[in-house]
Amino acid sequence: MSTMARGTTAGSPASASAVPRSEAKAPLRIVASAPGAVSVAGVSHTYDVSGRVTKALDEIDLAIAPGRFVVIVGPSGCGKSSLLMMMTGLTKPTAGTIVCGGRPMTEPDPDVVGVVFQEASLYPWLTAQDNVEFPLSLRRVPKAERAARAREKLALVGLQGFEDRYPHELSGGMKQRVSIARGLVQNPSILMLDEPFAALDEQTRITMGDELLRIWAETGKTVVFVTHSLSEAAYLADEIVVMSARPGRIIDRIEVALPRPRTYEMMSTPHFAELRERIWRQIRHQVSEG
Amino acid sequence: MSLAMASSAARPALSPAAVRLLLGIAVLILWEALPRLGLVPQLFLPALSQTLAALVGSAAEYGAHLLHTLRAIGIAMLVACGLGIGLGLLIGSVAPLRRTLQPLASGLYAVPIVILYPLFTAWFGIGPQSKIVFASVYGMLPCLLGTMAGIQTIDRQYLTVARSMRASRWQVIGRVLLPAAMPTVLSAFRVGGALVIVGVVVAEMLTSSEGIGYLISRYRTLLDSPHVFAGILLVVLLVVLFGALVQQVERRTAHWRFSTRSGEAG
Amino acid sequence: MAAAFRRSAARRLGGLLSWIGLVGAIAAAWQASLWFGVMTPELLPPIGEVLATAVSLLGRPAFLASVGVTLAEVLVAFAIAVPLGVALGFAISESSYWSAILKPIVFLIFSIPKTIFLPMFILAFGINFGQKVGFGVFSTIFIVLISSFSALDSVKSDHVRVARAYGASPWQIAWRVYMPAMAPILLEAVRLAMIFNLTGILLAEMYASRAGLGQLIASWGENYMLKELLAGILLIAAAAILFNEAVRWFEARCEHWRS
Repeated sequence: MSTMARGTTAGSPASASAVPRSEAKAPLRIVASAPGAVSVAGVSHTYDVSGRVTKALDEIDLAIAPGRFVVIVGPSGCGKSSLLMMMTGLTKPTAGTIVCGGRPMTEPDPDVVGVVFQEASLYPWLTAQDNVEFPLSLRRVPKAERAARAREKLALVGLQGFEDRYPHELSGGMKQRVSIARGLVQNPSILMLDEPFAALDEQTRITMGDELLRIWAETGKTVVFVTHSLSEAAYLADEIVVMSARPGRIIDRIEVALPRPRTYEMMSTPHFAELRERIWRQIRHQVSEG
Repeated sequence: MSLAMASSAARPALSPAAVRLLLGIAVLILWEALPRLGLVPQLFLPALSQTLAALVGSAAEYGAHLLHTLRAIGIAMLVACGLGIGLGLLIGSVAPLRRTLQPLASGLYAVPIVILYPLFTAWFGIGPQSKIVFASVYGMLPCLLGTMAGIQTIDRQYLTVARSMRASRWQVIGRVLLPAAMPTVLSAFRVGGALVIVGVVVAEMLTSSEGIGYLISRYRTLLDSPHVFAGILLVVLLVVLFGALVQQVERRTAHWRFSTRSGEAG
Repeated sequence: MAAAFRRSAARRLGGLLSWIGLVGAIAAAWQASLWFGVMTPELLPPIGEVLATAVSLLGRPAFLASVGVTLAEVLVAFAIAVPLGVALGFAISESSYWSAILKPIVFLIFSIPKTIFLPMFILAFGINFGQKVGFGVFSTIFIVLISSFSALDSVKSDHVRVARAYGASPWQIAWRVYMPAMAPILLEAVRLAMIFNLTGILLAEMYASRAGLGQLIASWGENYMLKELLAGILLIAAAAILFNEAVRWFEARCEHWRS
């Protein structure tokens, strides 16, 4: 057993150590207790599958200032989604602390962090309106108030008039709009999205990116967005966090110098190409290996 | 010519529903004609009109016995489906319980439950108790297995979402697990309920002094085919009616079910 | 590979342990109900005596003859119902028009428990071997039909197209694409068919018969021979569970590539 375990894992740490460690960590001068601030300090995560211990995340440090749009990108299996789930409080890291808006995230707190999941996470037996009201109804918010708040958020995401539709009567993009409205309904200062547009076709994906940027600009939330798409990362982000796989580490942090509002034409600028190039250079041998 | 062929190839002359209706009518006509013409002995298959005449002619008798049967069915259904669905929800939502008990439950499903009926009559006599116990046992396992399977097929994402909103354990059960499992629970109820109905009647057929099953058996020993068929027809109607009723509720609660589930969107 | 094997072995051991646990729990409840006076020994003979009776039954020629009768009925009905059901199921699926017509009918009949039709079989065929086999086939065939519908549905048209693109012959497609995809569902059908079949035939024997295990069980019940009755129930239950678990074990082996 032990020889076998060593035999199968021996390859990956060696190649992972060949990846350059982060040389450009942003200094931690963000006030972690401010609403909308996110601070991840020394987060590591290991899990074992039938006796074989795997290091999924290794010493992650990340500070995000309020109101920023941060995109985490990396090859599949780099633990970017796991990291996000820990930042939302849904799972606990083996070591390290995560503080969002001044609160340690030992469990989910929808008043601080709204979460949007991959694909359709809406309850199919509830209408769009009821889905958005759902988190409020768990807290026994009076009916009139929660109806008004849900309607307001649905209008914000551009779904006025679709309140009574069931999820199966909505397109993929509309479903994710409802998910965003649900994430925002308790007015958290932070919105975290886990590959929210991964299942959408390219056109819808670009439209939804624009929509999310508009909502972000209107609401001023802090956004943490996980994706495996380099273009999506470069198009949306203030700052791109690049992760490596096995073990998951932050290997680069890139400030995106593109002006706002972002437009589709920016995707053909040299700066955009450079950004993609810089990310791709760092993760490509991991992708081909995986 | 070629045009006519093309259109007939593209669209058969009759819709499947119409053919089904015609088939149904044909069966009814054959049911009447074959015994009348002497092609099938009346003892094997009494004509439709004779069967209906027997049913109408002895309506009072059938009605009185039906009442006994229905009462037993009501109690047994409460026990079988209540216990089956309740335990299924409990076992299905607690992972370690499910892992140990599910294989056992589906293994026990292989046991032909009918062989327990003589034991029940020995224990409880031939009154209503033994048939209620028998029908309850008969209908419970499908309810239990169906509900467990239903809980298991629930998308785990639904639970994660609920946790991200900090739903309490009871809120998760009541607001997420139950509605998500509803369609499978209802179809388990449909299968289990039909078995309860027939379980009661079969128990009455085997040993009993009242109920539709008892009537069927008594008329069978008298070789009175029309009355036997009338009784069977009554029970089949009961089962079909019950199934249609549950299906109606299913349709109302499950209109979302046959469309997208998470993971298939896109 | 080795780890996977060890895991499946562990699971099988766990399954065995839970069965032992269940048998233990039943035995404990059995004896406890006697100790605490919930049941009298007349209604529930001590488990030791019942087991002894079960062993002695296995040596009695009369009992073995009944087993033989039932077994013959079950096997003949099974040998008719399964191939017939599969063939009919495939034939119906062959035409989309006829499957649109007939499938709802098959599902409707399937939803009505077949046991209720037993008296019709007795009126039509009398009380004999043929009637029991006929009722067994009737009890079984609809589950086989429905399983063969879903077995055919489980074959992915993509896989067939790929095979055709590589020049596979119809026979090769049947054996190398259809069979592997359908095998698990058909095995499941065999397992369920056996359950339905056994139930149908035992009931037919209990209801009206001059021979067979069902008739024996019914007469033990009528004559309050509870030791024999319980021993018979235990033996039949054990045989049914063993058969079922054996098929499931085989299913699991065939299904290793799924999920």
